[in-house]
Amino acid sequence: MKFVLNGATTDVKAHPMARLLDVLREECGLTGTKEGCGEGECGACTVLVNGEPVCSCLIPVLQVQGADVVTIEGLGDDHPLQRLFMNEVGAQCGICTPGMIMAAIALGPSPTLDDVKIALAGNLCRCTGYSAIYRAVLKWRAMPDANAAAVAAR
Amino acid sequence: MRDGRIVAMDIDVLMDGGAYVTLSPVVLSRGCIHAAGPYRCNNVNIRGRTVFTNTPPNGAFRGFGAPQTEFAVEVQIERVAEALGMDSVELRRINALRPGDTTATGQTLRDDTSALMVLEEAVRRTDFLRKRERYKGTNRAMGLSLFYHGAGFTGSGELHLKSKARLELTPTGVRIATGSTEIGQGTRTTHAQIVSDALGIPYEDVEVAQPDTARVADSGPTVASRTCMVVGKILENCAHEMKERLNGLSPADFYARNGAFSVEQMYEPPDWIKWDDATYRGDAYATYGWGCDVVEIEVDPDTFEVRPLKLTAVQEFGRPIHPALAQGQIEGGTAQGLGYALLERVVMRNGAMANSQLTNYTIPTTLDMPELDVVMMENPYPGGPFGAKGLGELPMDGPAPAVVNALRYMGLDVREIPATPELIASCTAAA
Repeated sequence: MKFVLNGATTDVKAHPMARLLDVLREECGLTGTKEGCGEGECGACTVLVNGEPVCSCLIPVLQVQGADVVTIEGLGDDHPLQRLFMNEVGAQCGICTPGMIMAAIALGPSPTLDDVKIALAGNLCRCTGYSAIYRAVLKWRAMPDANAAAVAAR
Repeated sequence: MRDGRIVAMDIDVLMDGGAYVTLSPVVLSRGCIHAAGPYRCNNVNIRGRTVFTNTPPNGAFRGFGAPQTEFAVEVQIERVAEALGMDSVELRRINALRPGDTTATGQTLRDDTSALMVLEEAVRRTDFLRKRERYKGTNRAMGLSLFYHGAGFTGSGELHLKSKARLELTPTGVRIATGSTEIGQGTRTTHAQIVSDALGIPYEDVEVAQPDTARVADSGPTVASRTCMVVGKILENCAHEMKERLNGLSPADFYARNGAFSVEQMYEPPDWIKWDDATYRGDAYATYGWGCDVVEIEVDPDTFEVRPLKLTAVQEFGRPIHPALAQGQIEGGTAQGLGYALLERVVMRNGAMANSQLTNYTIPTTLDMPELDVVMMENPYPGGPFGAKGLGELPMDGPAPAVVNALRYMGLDVREIPATPELIASCTAAA
């Protein structure tokens, strides 16, 4: 099964119906993507497939054949949005954080607060009440090079 | 009395423990102690019972019984005000606990009692009285709740726990060795801040050991809004002792000359705390956090959905050690409180939870959350590190009664939560 993972062509041996989430974590060793509910309700396992945020727990790996997949690891270790999640305390327990960041990365340019809320409505957070997450995302989008970085991530 | 003074309270607390005891005794205890609300009253009778039922154990949740009982008293205060023909803010003002007042357990409150301060600030900041009038007859309303939360273990709990914390000198600084667990609330950060400030060394020179019980001091459980206030206080004391022994040298210099040493201390509750487990009389908590929430809501006239538009949370918890982390506790606790108020219905069927998935047990999403305005007020507690009190559970107590009190101004007599559309529909039919 071939697809592009975080910019590199990857070939994994997996059952075609294996969940993309499990393939990423177990075959590819990318444990940044978390499993929350395992039924597409919480968004913790969000990754980008061809630039669109999807719940990797609902996607059979067959479906990403030839596609472009980006996980939290694809942002590197020091992405400005990761840093802002830290500085604004957008992460508490951290389980929702990778999915939250991947959903936010896919936002269009110059989002309003309502745009951010709608984009993140499928990502549950039990700790923060979301306000700190909005602060992080809006500050990131206000940075001059944020839009370019988002496009690159796609 | 007609002038608004509460002369007696008779309170019956009945809790559903489920099929096993688990933490219900502690939930019942904290629930009963908070059952009279943040109000002065010389004649209080509180009867508390937890019963077995044929469901999974209910046990504990953030707030340990206080959100339940404070919900009841805060909704009741609105009814009393209505019966008296008195404004409910004025009724709260008359009866709010002040320094020198005694609580239901006979505890005399100290200077760090802030019920009036948070009430006045919340009313002023939200223009509560005027806005409440303005929304009359519309599908919008304002609601308010006044609440408090005891910090640390109840009564002699902290004395029995004998919590310890240790500071270890390292070649580059110091290491904190406690059993407090980082679960996202920021314990590692706040503890390191306390030690760095008390020792007068850079924050970066303080490391925090993993809470492996084989090698750290037993600091008791990471519960009861006690980690910053109680364990943080032991660390502050350890840092003071270490500072004396360093005798002016930096930790690194001292280590290079003399080698390692460590300081371990045990928690000593304030010496004035008296508590009798047999009679349940005395100082239930060393200190309390105080809060006033004001919520502005809108009810959809077609679907009966209750939408919170803005929630102002004015909370006093001594002094914040790390304001951004403290704000995160308030925002997150308020979100949980709104879930409790509006969304999170546990459905039991044949002794099991019938909606144990996120599909049908819904917690607040971004679209369910109102704008949050958090105000952190200060009234230092001398027994906490740098004046800090416990904070973790306090924000859970306020949102549900504030929402239900707002619904009351629309003529909806809501007697249970969550206030789901089905419940609002039945209240509307009754009205």
